[in-house]
Amino acid sequence: MLPDQVLSQLKAIVGPQHVLLESEDLQRFGVDRTTLWQANPCAVVLPSAVTMVQKIIRLANDCNLAVVPSGGRTGLSGGAVASDGELIIALDRINTVIDFNAIDRAVTVGAGMITADLQAFAAKHDLLYPVDFAAAGSSQIGGNIATNAGGINVIRYGMTRDWVIGLKVVTGAGDILDLNQGLLKNNTGYDFRHLFIGSEGTLGLICEATLQLTRPQADTTVMVLGIETFAAIVEVLEVFKTKIELTAFEFFSQAALDKVIKRQGHSAPFATQAPFYALIEFETRTQVTSVALALFEQCAAQGWVLDGVVSQSLAQTRALWRLREDISETLWHWQPYKNDISVRVSKMSDFLAEVDQLVAARYPDFEIVWYGHIGDGNLHLNILKPEDLPQTEFFERCGIVSLEIGELLARYGGSISAEHGVGLLKKSLLPYSRSPVEIALMRSIKKTFDPKSILNPGKVFDALV
Amino acid sequence: MKILVTAKRVVDYNVNIRVLADQSGVDLNNVKMSVNPFDEIAIEEAVRLKEAGKAEEVIVVSVGVSQCQEQLRTALALGADRGILVETDEALQPLGIAKALKAVIDKEAPGLIITGKQAIDGDNSQTGQMLAALAGLAQATFASEIDLGEDSATVTREIDGGLETITVKLPAIVTTDLRLNEPRYASLPNIMKAKKKPIDIFTPADLGVDVSPRVKTLKVEPPAERAAGIKVESVEVLVDKLRNEAKVIS
Ligand SMILES: Cc1cc2nc3c(=O)[nH]c(=O)nc-3n(C[C@H](O)[C@H](O)[C@H](O)COP(=O)(O)OP(=O)(O)OC[C@H]3O[C@@H](n4cnc5c(N)ncnc54)[C@H](O)[C@@H]3O)c2cc1C
Ligand SMILES: Cc1cc2nc3c(=O)[nH]c(=O)nc-3n(C[C@H](O)[C@H](O)[C@H](O)COP(=O)(O)OP(=O)(O)OC[C@H]3O[C@@H](n4cnc5c(N)ncnc54)[C@H](O)[C@@H]3O)c2cc1C
Repeated sequence: MLPDQVLSQLKAIVGPQHVLLESEDLQRFGVDRTTLWQANPCAVVLPSAVTMVQKIIRLANDCNLAVVPSGGRTGLSGGAVASDGELIIALDRINTVIDFNAIDRAVTVGAGMITADLQAFAAKHDLLYPVDFAAAGSSQIGGNIATNAGGINVIRYGMTRDWVIGLKVVTGAGDILDLNQGLLKNNTGYDFRHLFIGSEGTLGLICEATLQLTRPQADTTVMVLGIETFAAIVEVLEVFKTKIELTAFEFFSQAALDKVIKRQGHSAPFATQAPFYALIEFETRTQVTSVALALFEQCAAQGWVLDGVVSQSLAQTRALWRLREDISETLWHWQPYKNDISVRVSKMSDFLAEVDQLVAARYPDFEIVWYGHIGDGNLHLNILKPEDLPQTEFFERCGIVSLEIGELLARYGGSISAEHGVGLLKKSLLPYSRSPVEIALMRSIKKTFDPKSILNPGKVFDALV
Repeated sequence: MKILVTAKRVVDYNVNIRVLADQSGVDLNNVKMSVNPFDEIAIEEAVRLKEAGKAEEVIVVSVGVSQCQEQLRTALALGADRGILVETDEALQPLGIAKALKAVIDKEAPGLIITGKQAIDGDNSQTGQMLAALAGLAQATFASEIDLGEDSATVTREIDGGLETITVKLPAIVTTDLRLNEPRYASLPNIMKAKKKPIDIFTPADLGVDVSPRVKTLKVEPPAERAAGIKVESVEVLVDKLRNEAKVIS
């Protein structure tokens, strides 16, 4: 528990009402969307300025207090979990637009800003912040940067990393760094900005971010295709990708669609049943649409595609997206074990065949739901928990198979965490994607920025001793 | 029996409408155009009646610019058998459209005509009614259910505070309300097949009708912008603001 003296200093820094100690708050702030760990933080502090964050970090260093940076807590790997008496720093109050410049198409915001609020701000100025995914209504920019979030538009716009042009951080040592200052060109040695992107709260608190915005997308058209086999999905992807600039290429299995339809009350895209579905999106232009129709015919003639629909209005574009976007929330009901893996798109076809065989053999009694950003080589392989199986036992069994998937990924040069990060959940798998030398270097980088290891200890790799 | 349905080309329901600077109308440049949502429901109903064996042919009509063929193609993909475009660049108003439709009815002699209860561009809710008057046919507006018989149709209408069920003699004009059905998606195989379905194009002059506008638009203005919401610190402040600023409680 927090010594009284530390507590009063925290209250002096942020104001007494911004130090939360009620059990309800501790529960709420202490976990992300993983369900494996119990919340047990000592307190939650809500600073409203970068200098306050600095004072808190210095105080934490002085009294060896572990700190968990908390964003919107939509994370899927336990990065924001505080289960060991840590102090939570949540930037919910550092959440405003600090600067906007239409010439630079750049906006500087507090890291506690909700992702959807940033998207809305950009839209209001006829611009686009293109990183988007189903949790955007709750996740924060700081959390997105700390996890280098991907999402549904990566095939066209890349990851969060590609849109960050400046960061203001407080390091674990308590230094304030103003990184890259929104510059497009700045070749002055090591670019620390990129170290903080994807650092999962282990190097510093991201307090402000400057983001590049771009011109808004034209209205988009969505096709949903029913597809016969895994191999055919990759064939269809290749055919479409070489002829059309896609804004998304997602896929999901029949099991995913059935569950979304049943639990969310959506309508099926068409009556034909197919093992898999691809959702293909592109900007609406008459010529492009006719090319897409021709490609559909080509894929149907090959026998890859069984049926398909195309949106005729923006309402239909949105309704078809819901079939894909609502999967993650829908599956929550079954407490799924989530694998978030990637390989290069060119290796996807062979990899899918092997991973399909592996999970079919290892999980004969579990229901498997496939979906993901397959256009980016990213699969979300979800294993559903049978109702009568205790959660710990279920996760143990899945953990063992994950090691085999890890070996397979290592063979394909793939990643054990495509976009959700490592946190606590994927820690044991890290060696399948990163070499011992790399992990040792990560540790020494952590030591440089956070010498007393107060920031998110035990996340990504085991705590330094 | 032939069923005639309409497919008006309108600015997509989800587009943020911008008023032109000179207030002469709304900006249609590069704006997504779609089938009027109430017409989508009309098309779906006609196709279902055909699928149920109650009609032999579904004819879809659009009145407007050449690009209305896109909306006709959508309707053909959804299951209509052939299209008719009454092509004109004239600024169209309900009366002009109703006259053009009347001329098409005279040519085709359908047993049932289904239109949307309104088009979401002008929100007039006049075309179906004017058409019934011009053609001297029965009308059943705001339909949420259609039971098609041999020479009459029983239609449930959505009215203020409830439902009304009426029987009309065929041929009749029915206009669709939201609850009538949930339109299907256009399937890609059907879009391909629809490419071969015929669309006949006439001008209003070919049909001997004058569609020129009778109402003059003086100006178009956007609705007043709503003030942004604010967060208040306490219930007391909220009550004070409701009482003294918003004046919604006393
Ligand atoms: C329905 C659903 C769909 C999702 N879809 C996607 C998807 O398509 N793509 C994708 O990439 N992710 C997805 N996610 C995962 C998640 O939304 C993202 O990882 C998101 O970026 C996390 O942001 P957050 O603010 O919620 O972070 P949190 O969960 O609060 O934190 C995540 C990590 O960042 C750290 N952190 C948070 N804020 C800061 C800060 N200011 N400074 C330093 N470190 C910080 C935390 O300590 C933790 O390690 C999805 C999640 C859900 C629930
Ligand atoms: C006419 C002219 C026009 C130019 N225009 C531009 C321009 O528009 N934009 C621009 O950015 N630059 C420009 N430059 C600068 C220069 O061409 C670039 O910096 C170029 O990238 C240097 O490449 P190099 O192979 O010549 O590197 P070198 O000059 O040989 O080395 C540059 C640095 O890289 C290191 N280095 C070289 N190879 C390796 C390696 N394999 N591994 C590790 N370190 C290595 C060297 O130690 C040195 O520090 C221009 C130069 C000239 C002469």
